[in-house]
Amino acid sequence: MARLGRFAAIGTAFALAVVCTASAQEVKTAAKYGDMSTVTQDLLNRAGGDGNNFLHTNGDYNQLRFYPNRQINVSNVARLRPAWIFQTEVKESLETTPIIVNGVMYVTTSYNHVYALDARTGEELWHYKQKLGPITTYCCGPNNRGVAVHGDMVYMGTLDAKLVALEAKTGKLVWQADIADPELGYSETMAPTAVNGKILIGTNGGEYGIRGFVKAFDAKSGKLLWTFYTIPENSVGVWAEKDATGRHMLRDIAAEKAQLAQTGDPYKTLGGGVWQNPAVDLALNRIFFMVGNPSPDLDGSLRPGDNLYTNSLVSVNLDTGQYVCHFQYIAHDVWDLDAVSPPILVDVRNSQGQVVPGVLHAGKTGHVYVHNRNDCSLIRFSEAMVPQENMWVLPTKEGARMLPGANGGVEWSPMAVNPGLGLTYAINLHQPMTYHVESSPYPQGKLWLGGAFKVIPAEEQWGNITAVDYNTGKIRWQVKTPQPMIGGVLATAGGLVFTGEGNGLFKAYDAETGATLWKFQAGAGVNAPPSSYTVDGKQYIVVGAGGNVQLDYKRGNSIIAFTVD
Amino acid sequence: MAGLLWPCLPGADAPSRHGTAGRSRGVRAAVLATTLMVLCQASRADPIEEKVQLCNACHGENGIPQDVQTPVIWGQHQGYLYLQLRDYKRGTRKSDPMSTIAETLERDEMMALAEYFAGKPWPRLGQPSASDAVAAQAQRANVAVNCTGCHLGAYQGDGTQPRLAGQRREYLVKSMIEFRTRTRGNNPGMSDLMLSISEEAIAACAEYLAGLQ
Repeated sequence: MARLGRFAAIGTAFALAVVCTASAQEVKTAAKYGDMSTVTQDLLNRAGGDGNNFLHTNGDYNQLRFYPNRQINVSNVARLRPAWIFQTEVKESLETTPIIVNGVMYVTTSYNHVYALDARTGEELWHYKQKLGPITTYCCGPNNRGVAVHGDMVYMGTLDAKLVALEAKTGKLVWQADIADPELGYSETMAPTAVNGKILIGTNGGEYGIRGFVKAFDAKSGKLLWTFYTIPENSVGVWAEKDATGRHMLRDIAAEKAQLAQTGDPYKTLGGGVWQNPAVDLALNRIFFMVGNPSPDLDGSLRPGDNLYTNSLVSVNLDTGQYVCHFQYIAHDVWDLDAVSPPILVDVRNSQGQVVPGVLHAGKTGHVYVHNRNDCSLIRFSEAMVPQENMWVLPTKEGARMLPGANGGVEWSPMAVNPGLGLTYAINLHQPMTYHVESSPYPQGKLWLGGAFKVIPAEEQWGNITAVDYNTGKIRWQVKTPQPMIGGVLATAGGLVFTGEGNGLFKAYDAETGATLWKFQAGAGVNAPPSSYTVDGKQYIVVGAGGNVQLDYKRGNSIIAFTVD
Repeated sequence: MAGLLWPCLPGADAPSRHGTAGRSRGVRAAVLATTLMVLCQASRADPIEEKVQLCNACHGENGIPQDVQTPVIWGQHQGYLYLQLRDYKRGTRKSDPMSTIAETLERDEMMALAEYFAGKPWPRLGQPSASDAVAAQAQRANVAVNCTGCHLGAYQGDGTQPRLAGQRREYLVKSMIEFRTRTRGNNPGMSDLMLSISEEAIAACAEYLAGLQ
């Protein structure tokens, strides 16, 4: 999902806007209960071993989504029951990961509401409602995936492409910065990442001809520190003929070269959104993130070359945003099979059997990719988790059937890892589609698909949860679900894997075998990543049940916390 | 003002109270010229009400348009209305009266007009609900191209995405067909999607959406 160079002037005009009052926003406060501690950098660094809090959208900087408390485990999970249910004001898709700081929970909803809740009871502490501007441009629902916490502040990206900083104790707006121009197709749905005094955030917009980026803002002031454009001014690359798995992509490279000679590098409108959190390697002082699809999605004729760094894993320096390395899965993608699901940093075995720092990514292609962290190179890719047929047939006017469909494989849904078992858990979609191409010029911030991906109504759709051994690439276990899966996964030291379904079921699986150990009907689609926390000595599992726009799953507005008495 | 009242806001490219069939190019040109002249004479400081009156002539004093191919703009989203005015001015969406009017508007005026109409209640046109068969056909189209991915669950829209629920059926058909033929050029993504479904499906969608509220 991205933006552009001839809009550099506009970008300059969109200088930082610092707002020091909360007058334009609506904040509802209630009696405070919890002790809202300051979130130190040390606390954030050690989040992976923190058995009380849940401080990052994906658990820790490595993004394992592995919660270290084992109080809720395979032997007692059958007795898991709701402890409380909080209903938000917004009945629309929920993609938030609840963040918990010392007994206080922060959740967001569609349309950029933020709630602080007492994590013991679900009691509302405050409610912040962002006053969105008239221009919001987004393809797939007014979603938000949650907040980042740092110091005594809470941070959120907005649908009108702003970054807001709120006071954690009250929800009052401290500052607000313009990230980009929403009229050109930029918007924010991802949760920011807070690290070393910086707030990192990418952008949506790969369906609108943006030029993608990751930006770092100063956590205290909102000042822009650096910008890494995901589309370099030379986006042509090496004219790759094969994808990451060695399959021929049927590119007409001669035609592309002729187009390049005629129209030049298409970098200004090439897309490449970053809409899920980066992983942070504190030792290397680098971040790793996934770059989305090129614009327009299905029409490659207007964008000759490999379209770097779309559909890639990219690593840059944390302090400067300087490029370090990348790996592109699909050069010159014309199927919207972009790289989205957030990367995970974990030690892996390389092809010689040595343990090396690795990076995992689950692709829309249906593979889990395993990389060497030093140079981003590919070590292996897993067995396909969903059917793959007719790859890589090119889109046609009439429509060409290919599997996976444009939603994946694995969509934005984060995986979870159990490092002790060497398994990563991915949720998948099987949604057969035909790919259609139509050519049209850049429409200045309007939807720019270059065709259509069309669900085939007569064909069965389904999903699965798949456990992959990332040291071998083999599938350990797989459980089929009646609907395509979207949301996210949580693994715990209690030997459990939690994930939800569009039909409202929220389930716990045995991490080793995939056996279903527990389930709960939430009444609306459970399409948000779960998290876990412990307060007053009691562990909870918490998840949002609000359905999903993209797959049209039943909407709701519940945040549900579960525990075992 | 009475003679000026037919040029209107988004989509009103069939703006005559008497229909378009009998209007000559000469008459159209004369009215356009008059409209443009008066608009140009009006000060930028003119209260928005004057321009609102102009809009109301076609889009309805009570929010119900005079012509079935003129869209409801009362209660439509501000971002969407602004973008249509902007696009008329840019020329990516074309219509004689609307293009002419939009040429005279600056961004802040477009935003103000859009905000004004967005703040009005959506009118009830009393269009009948679609039959089960038609609704099913419309829902199949939604499964295929995911209309609700942008227009949202109850087709209420948001921001720059227009509300479709309860819009005039004839206008919906006209718009979707114009996207399909690329006559309406200000959203190629919509054109691509409309090209991937049949005209029968478009007709069913329009009937279904018109019957919603």
